[in-house]
Amino acid sequence: MTSPISSIMSSFPTSGVGADMSVGTTTSTAATPGAGTDFASVLATSLDGLQATQSKADGLALQAASGDLKDVHDYMIASNEASLATQMVVTIKNKAVDAFNEIMRMPV
Amino acid sequence: MAVFDTLGISASGLLAHRKWLDAVSDNISNINTATSTDKSAFKERYIEAQAVDYGSGKGGVRVATAQFGSGEGRVVYEPKNPLADKDGYVRYPDIDLGDQMAQLIMAQRGYQANLSVIDRATKSYQAALQLGKG
Repeated sequence: MTSPISSIMSSFPTSGVGADMSVGTTTSTAATPGAGTDFASVLATSLDGLQATQSKADGLALQAASGDLKDVHDYMIASNEASLATQMVVTIKNKAVDAFNEIMRMPV
Repeated sequence: MAVFDTLGISASGLLAHRKWLDAVSDNISNINTATSTDKSAFKERYIEAQAVDYGSGKGGVRVATAQFGSGEGRVVYEPKNPLADKDGYVRYPDIDLGDQMAQLIMAQRGYQANLSVIDRATKSYQAALQLGKG
């Protein structure tokens, strides 16, 4: 018996975040663990990027306070970008936690 | 972050227009700077902008060089001026105030346009992030 959703699942790309979520049917070979990019490393990379953005904004804030800032817009854009990056990473994290909780609530 | 490239591109536009504003204010502030006729007059400053090739993976604009106008200026008869030569002439920079004002408006509007792009891009990114908050 084939899974009713197997046709839907096979249309998903097998690279990227969703790689480890592919449902192996009885006939197909099971997905090799760690073949794609797992979510933890994606999150870690995003957090590294976020850290870099925030430290850039911090440095410009220091320059603004000490009077070394050359361009007003530089600091405003950097803080804007840091805020956006924070929102993005937090949204991704929340979505992942939601998905995990949803799976944990699944009746067995 | 590569996701928010629009902000960086608009920042380069802001920088270019800020330098243009600097050049125009320099020209206007020196519009009445007299020099003696054996020296060159104040040279009008121009900003030469250049596009960063979009195909290279980086968009935006950069200021290639600052170009200078003629140092010849215009010779004015002002015998009372301490800088005047023995015939009573001094040299003034040949800068047209009307032209500088037009450039000032263009630079200011360009700066504001880039700020609008940043504003809209930020709002768009935030709207996209709202998708994930439902």
